Amino acid sequence: MAAPGGDMQWCFSQVKGAIDDDVAEADIISTVEFNHTGELLATGDKGGRVVIFQQEIENKSLPQFRSEYNVYSTFQSHEPEFDYLKSLEIEEKINKIRWLPQKNAAQFLLSTNDKTIKLWKISERDKRPDGYNLKEDDGRYKDPNSITSLRVPVLIPMDLMVEASPRRVFANAHTYHINSVSVNSDHETYLSADDLRVNLWHLEITDRSFNIVDIKPTNMEELTEVITAAEFHPHQCNTFVYSSSKGIIRLCDMRESALCDRHTKLFEEPEDPSNRSFFSEIISSISDVKFSHSGRYMMTRDYLSVKIWDLNMENRPVETYQVHEYLRSKLCSLYENDCIFDKFECCWNGNDSVVMTGSYNNFFRMFDRSQRRDVMLEASRENSKPMQVLKPRKVCAGGKRKKDEISVDSLDFNKKILHTAWHPQDNIIAVATTNNLYIFQDKVN
Amino acid sequence: MECAFEAQNLISISLRKIQSSRTQRGGIKLHKNLLVTYVLRNARQFYMNKNVSQAQRSPPYEDAAAVREKQEYLELMGSFTELADDFYCNFTGAESDSWHCGAHQHNGQLTEVQHQDASSCVLVSPNESDLMLSEACWSCADKSWELPVPNTQANQKTVLDLDTHVVTTVSNGYFHSDCCAQPRQPQGAQCHKKRKMDTSYFIVDPEFYLPDFVPVPFKRMRSDDDSHSDSDQLDNTNISNLISVLGSGGLSEFVSWQQTDLEQIFGTQTICLKHTLFTGSGWTRAIEAF
Repeated sequence: MAAPGGDMQWCFSQVKGAIDDDVAEADIISTVEFNHTGELLATGDKGGRVVIFQQEIENKSLPQFRSEYNVYSTFQSHEPEFDYLKSLEIEEKINKIRWLPQKNAAQFLLSTNDKTIKLWKISERDKRPDGYNLKEDDGRYKDPNSITSLRVPVLIPMDLMVEASPRRVFANAHTYHINSVSVNSDHETYLSADDLRVNLWHLEITDRSFNIVDIKPTNMEELTEVITAAEFHPHQCNTFVYSSSKGIIRLCDMRESALCDRHTKLFEEPEDPSNRSFFSEIISSISDVKFSHSGRYMMTRDYLSVKIWDLNMENRPVETYQVHEYLRSKLCSLYENDCIFDKFECCWNGNDSVVMTGSYNNFFRMFDRSQRRDVMLEASRENSKPMQVLKPRKVCAGGKRKKDEISVDSLDFNKKILHTAWHPQDNIIAVATTNNLYIFQDKVN
Repeated sequence: MECAFEAQNLISISLRKIQSSRTQRGGIKLHKNLLVTYVLRNARQFYMNKNVSQAQRSPPYEDAAAVREKQEYLELMGSFTELADDFYCNFTGAESDSWHCGAHQHNGQLTEVQHQDASSCVLVSPNESDLMLSEACWSCADKSWELPVPNTQANQKTVLDLDTHVVTTVSNGYFHSDCCAQPRQPQGAQCHKKRKMDTSYFIVDPEFYLPDFVPVPFKRMRSDDDSHSDSDQLDNTNISNLISVLGSGGLSEFVSWQQTDLEQIFGTQTICLKHTLFTGSGWTRAIEAF
């Protein structure tokens, strides 16, 4: 494994997507996910499409070109729907993509919009049968009387064709908007979470799911918090966590009871009363929760910070990183323009030594846990020459602005990086701006 | 002063957000609206605390008219405080773990009971063995209003009671209960007493209520027979109907209110503003429902 993020220099590799400044709503990227080997990179967008990129195999051995990804498959996962009973439109936006571990030649992934989860099979076809006895090459049937001899059809090579087919549709199990999907380490079940409930599914069974968490109060007027994210433990198939809008993470053990309304562990950090404001509840809402690959830690993202929790310590996080503390004085404006509701995701690198998350102005941050260093980088077309090294960026919160610093008032809050992903085994990262996907790799000396 | 203005601003911004969430594609976002209600609550509490402290810091010399006005204002605040206690009997705020449902009794002594849920808001009188509702305490499960309106013209409006989900038709300013949604009986308590408001303080703004002709993007609450079929569906509709209340003329009043001084509010006949700001009536309960 290469050196952690603090010492590392990051280079631009590729950018995918339209160059136009005028962004079509359907092209806005809504989720990014590497598969378990890192060979495939999937993106979902607001238009309900999934685009899968594949790492170029020929370049894998060339270190400086190993992060070249090309389009592998594109398909329409979800379509807009209309719930006639409630007079509600169901958006086709892909909220989450999760890859299943590969079992055979085909790849499988789960994609979800607000209401329906689908299991997709992505398979390659590079051979086709030739030499049918009863059919012509163009598909027309022969007259059986004209056949004088028989032959055995053979498979001949053809241009690679990648097919995506929906194998399962898991529908009608969520009244509220689905925010998370997580595949269990048993590779047979997965969970889906909406604002108030978490359901457990079997990948083979679509007509029923088990509700394992239900925080809906008897009287909806008593509702004080919602579920914001949920994830299975990477190794313990009985353990999962879910985060809430109150900044609380609950760890549940499915062995304790069928309904996991009572948590096994509760992770919460008391609020600092000196930071109390009108927006305290909003900025403490957790937007993402991710277990470390080791399974010992978990990371949460709220509006201003990233926190690392040790699963053995519930009363406070072991590490806290401020992503953009300079925004604390701007919360009122961010509330007005709705940016305060942005849900930033976070991710671990392969060996859990570095964490990454996005920010505004197309900035994203990496925090090196072992070396206690952090860096802020920018994904922009201006820095997109091949192998161009990214320069660290700095935001000036107030006072005299130094050279190369950007003032907090100059930040573009329409340019936000909500979704990032880190290759599971290599220092290759995928960073999604509004409608572009940037791929960076570490500099090879 | 700046913070008070900011609180007013936040309240109007928040209401606009709730209003616009009605027409957002994909339906109302529960999470976002819940967070907006927290901002509303915080701004409201800040504004209330500020005005209470201002009212207490009265200058040493005032003319008689100003004194009278202030007395009336304090009486109004007192009444609203009563109502605030009752309406907020189940809201969990950051400042306190729970709000007590307490009535400010003129006669006798009643023990405040910290209730567990909205349906068991009762007061226990040490003089009576049976649980009963004081006239001054609203049952959270049943709050039907009888409010005469000085508007003498025949005036038919559809009114949605946010607690009982009773859909009523207002004729000449008086309510007639048309039907009742699924009754939510509190545990062990009989909450049937209706509260009689002292109308010398309040004048109902008919625009507060949902007129029949306003297009509502979501279904209205169904009748008792229909309500059993899908409670989740009902809840979604419930939330959307609560927001529908804001879609009436009352919302435009809130938006314009940010420039209105409290004294001007007192002088106007807009009950919804006074109610909502100080008592946490209909629309605030609607928002708290998130």
